[in-house]
Amino acid sequence: MSGLPKVAIYKFASCSGCQLEFLNLEPVLLDLLGMVDIAHFVMARSASSPGPYDIGFVEGSIVNAEDVGRLKEARAESKLLVAIGACATHGGLQSISNWLPMREVESSVYATPVQTHPLKSFPVSEYVKVDASLSGCPINKNELVEFIKSALLGVTPRIRPHSVCVECKLAENVCLLVSEGKPCMGPVIRAGCSALCPSRSTPCTGCHGPSSDCNVESLRTTFAGLGLHQSEITRHFRKYAALDAEFQKGGRT
Amino acid sequence: MLQEDHPLVKSAGTVSLPAAELKEFVAALMQKFPVIAPILKGREYVFAQLEDAAQLADDYQPTILPAKKVLQQPLETVFSFVRQEAFAEDGKCTSLGEERICFVDHGAAVQKKVLFGVRPCDVNSFNVLDEVFCKDLPDPFYCQSRQETLIVAQNCVKPCRSGFCYYQQTGPGLQRGYDLLLTELDNAYLVEAGSDAGRELLALHPFAAAAPEMSLARDELLAATSRRLPKHILTRNLAELLEENVDHPVWEDLQRRCLGCGTCTMVCPTCFCYNVYDKLDLGLESGVRQREWDSCKLMEFSQVALGHNFRKGRQARAQWRIYHKLLYQQRQFGKTGCVGCGRCIYSCMVNIDLTDVASTLGGE
Repeated sequence: MSGLPKVAIYKFASCSGCQLEFLNLEPVLLDLLGMVDIAHFVMARSASSPGPYDIGFVEGSIVNAEDVGRLKEARAESKLLVAIGACATHGGLQSISNWLPMREVESSVYATPVQTHPLKSFPVSEYVKVDASLSGCPINKNELVEFIKSALLGVTPRIRPHSVCVECKLAENVCLLVSEGKPCMGPVIRAGCSALCPSRSTPCTGCHGPSSDCNVESLRTTFAGLGLHQSEITRHFRKYAALDAEFQKGGRT
Repeated sequence: MLQEDHPLVKSAGTVSLPAAELKEFVAALMQKFPVIAPILKGREYVFAQLEDAAQLADDYQPTILPAKKVLQQPLETVFSFVRQEAFAEDGKCTSLGEERICFVDHGAAVQKKVLFGVRPCDVNSFNVLDEVFCKDLPDPFYCQSRQETLIVAQNCVKPCRSGFCYYQQTGPGLQRGYDLLLTELDNAYLVEAGSDAGRELLALHPFAAAAPEMSLARDELLAATSRRLPKHILTRNLAELLEENVDHPVWEDLQRRCLGCGTCTMVCPTCFCYNVYDKLDLGLESGVRQREWDSCKLMEFSQVALGHNFRKGRQARAQWRIYHKLLYQQRQFGKTGCVGCGRCIYSCMVNIDLTDVASTLGGE
């Protein structure tokens, strides 16, 4: 395998769904293995070869002191460090615990919470420099492949920064917000998913995190106009990317 | 005075089609051409190739995407390319340093098709797009597709939910730009041919002669529709008002409300911007060059190398769309860039309405 760029996949607090997307690349997985050496991937390989690595993909949010140490090692041994998935890029679903008393969270999850010692849930970029982010819950396979190809070529990957609405319109979906009055997060959420949920008549829940220059205050006003209570609106914005500075705007409980 | 090419002047080719026979005529068209027409999708309508004449929605609100999508597709492949080891001299390969790249053009074969049930606003949008795509530097994709598309238009005998075409002189009755034009009357359609190709289509069905009073009924219906349109746009002095009010508080209000989501431009029948990018296969040996609709409402649109952005602020982008449609295109092409279809108004999640903006500027 020598000569190929070496790739490592690290896991922190997460459901492992984003790592699984590497294996879900099935139709092109063999092609991928012809281009890179996946040297460290605990989910799929029993043996790991040591760093340094050309690309380190980090899945999961950082929730305790041990994580912080492991993350700094990953940063040190990876030329490019890439946060993958909502947990790593924005704190993820578990970051809703950041707005609750920690004792309450621990006792609701663990019978005897003596060994967890959790901090709040933070994205990877809170602790180390991140070279690229692929958000989503899970990440989008096409964006993952696009990133790897671009990294191999040394060019900027085409990762869509704009709203889900663009891809939703390109798919000519019926607008769930306008035509059906459903609270769809699409207008403030980054695309790249080919409008996966709205294409199946389900409002966007926001797993890709904020789009570029999103207008959170205005969508909150629109949601209120649909009859949603302020606390309900806040829950929409806290689901995956609660720590995001934009998403905290107008945040009320 | 009627234009020379007005169908009433060229009265040959004006016939009647009983309402019950509409779908028979569509089926006859489908025998000869692919027919793209509005069909129901959920609660809305979309243009799609008919598989069965029964799918046709002949009484419809504006489609989600405009008929433009048939001529300038949302996503299309411009060409594909592959790296070649062997030297193949067939005019499609070129040397880039030591590499040899061969291209396959995807723009060549365009099939003749019928675009059926297009409303006057959308037909008029083609006239705007023709200025952009088929004048100085013709765009082969759009122009070939345009030439090979027969237009069976349909006058609007009822107002749609947010149109203001009458004030932009783009509807509810169509003046030109069609091969056939249908107007729905009580129990029959008045069918008028606007071109030789349209007259040829009349041979596909045993039409009845049109009674003279049908034209009168058409004019009355269209005049009534004009009066009942849900929106109006102030057009007198609009160019001057826009020029004088670059700093008007209405723009600040837009920036506060605009989600920057890009929907208004995606659904616009006259927006023509696109982005071009290469998509490589994983082996990095071959790929395709694609182009996709783009939008000036997106922050990245005006970003250039090294990161500078000419319209970084949401207000600048919200303002640009309206200025471009209502002022700059007027100056550049001598006709407005807005055909009054109202799609941007209906689709906007925060109710931004360019007719309201015009009224505010006019002090209404």
